[in-house]
Amino acid sequence: PAGGVSLRLCSTRVALEGINKPVIDRIIRVDHAGEYGANRIYAGQMAVLGRSSVGPIIRQMWNQEKDHLKKFDELMVAYRVRPTVLLPFWNVAGFVLGAGSALLGKKGAMACTVAVEESISDHYNSQIRTLMEEDPEKYKELLQIIKQFRDDEREHHDIGLEHDAEAAPAYSVLKTAIQLGCKAAIFLSERI
Amino acid sequence: VVRCQLSSPQRPLQASAVLRRVSDEQKKEPLASSSQQQFDSHPTDPQPEQEPQGPRPSYTGQGGQESEDYESEEQLQHRILTAALEFVPEHGWTAEAIAEGAKTLGLSVAAAGMFHSDGSELILHFVSQCNTKLSELLEQEQKLVQLGEAEKKPTDQFLRDAVEARLRMLIPYIEKWPQALSILLLPHNIPSSLNLLTSMIDDIWHYAGDQSTDFNWYTRRAVLTGIYNTTELVMMQDSSPDFEDTWRFLENRVADAMNMGDTANQVQSTGEALVQGLMGAAVTVSN
Repeated sequence: PAGGVSLRLCSTRVALEGINKPVIDRIIRVDHAGEYGANRIYAGQMAVLGRSSVGPIIRQMWNQEKDHLKKFDELMVAYRVRPTVLLPFWNVAGFVLGAGSALLGKKGAMACTVAVEESISDHYNSQIRTLMEEDPEKYKELLQIIKQFRDDEREHHDIGLEHDAEAAPAYSVLKTAIQLGCKAAIFLSERI
Repeated sequence: VVRCQLSSPQRPLQASAVLRRVSDEQKKEPLASSSQQQFDSHPTDPQPEQEPQGPRPSYTGQGGQESEDYESEEQLQHRILTAALEFVPEHGWTAEAIAEGAKTLGLSVAAAGMFHSDGSELILHFVSQCNTKLSELLEQEQKLVQLGEAEKKPTDQFLRDAVEARLRMLIPYIEKWPQALSILLLPHNIPSSLNLLTSMIDDIWHYAGDQSTDFNWYTRRAVLTGIYNTTELVMMQDSSPDFEDTWRFLENRVADAMNMGDTANQVQSTGEALVQGLMGAAVTVSN
């Protein structure tokens, strides 16, 4: 049976009253990793396309991701969740993905954005489902945050489509590959 | 005396029920009679308040269920182990100490049979208790600081004091502690002992005000774990008055760790400056 509060014998962890710590741990850890990675992806895209016509759009989306990351930093401290060990890896991988896709041109960058943001929104949706199944009242604040962020990511996804992501070279291959990578990243960050 | 025939999977149930009868006889009457009734009328049902767990207490985070005045098996085991600690200086971390502890609670010496023969649970129980005490201590200190009644300590001072407070809890048992350490390193104990260690270190950093959300989270905990473990080992061999050599060792290690942090920052800013210089050079060359 999924844990209630783990207390006495896990001696020192002062559990926040009544939450399902393992589930919340995973959620916050993977979301933090995701926002961190998204940050680095946009940073990579900016490094290549910063001075092009899509520069301002990318910068705007990047700023929103920075806000998201800040929020998860706060949640991480509040819920005493450990970050994923793979952060340094996502640091590099994210930047390389962003810069690499941007080197394929503006449409390539937009395709990358579409792929990533679609993965992230799906991922947030399943987390919302999980939390709703657990206890929508108890996790109200967290649910609100995740819903808001999901909407933001959807918006980024739509912006990417508006900017001709689908016209990018090898769009479907690119999209599939990136989404597979995202799935793997999510799987690993939840656990490690 | 157990009147009903119980099948073997319920042996722990049987054992604790026997012990409970013995101890219940010494408790207040209404409770004893109600518990006996409960037992008699449900000979083959598991006691309602007991979790479906094995006879060994788990140290990786299962809370015991408490219902009214009826004591769960886990609570009983806790009481026995706590009572047994008194006998550790004499008997070591062994089943004998547990047996003596059970005796002081008015239970049969056979109660020690509930536990592993190598004293693992006793040691883990002790570590768990110490960690809880440390948490409470740090929590209280934090409250005082928040109320403005105490000064916020600088990080190195905080870490030193926390580790010293925790290690001082070993002093009454210091003779037998090396034995305990070796038992904690047995393969079947490693998950539990590691879990206890990591949550203690995490607690200390939490109260020290650590809010890192990057790889520093790991670095800091690894460093503090190293400091704690080495200081503990030094303490085992320290014969100076009130372990002053140990505390001096601790002070030096913490100072080293602080320096390491500063050096790391310096390296990083040097690196960043270098990268900027290179980028500038690249831009210049490309233009």
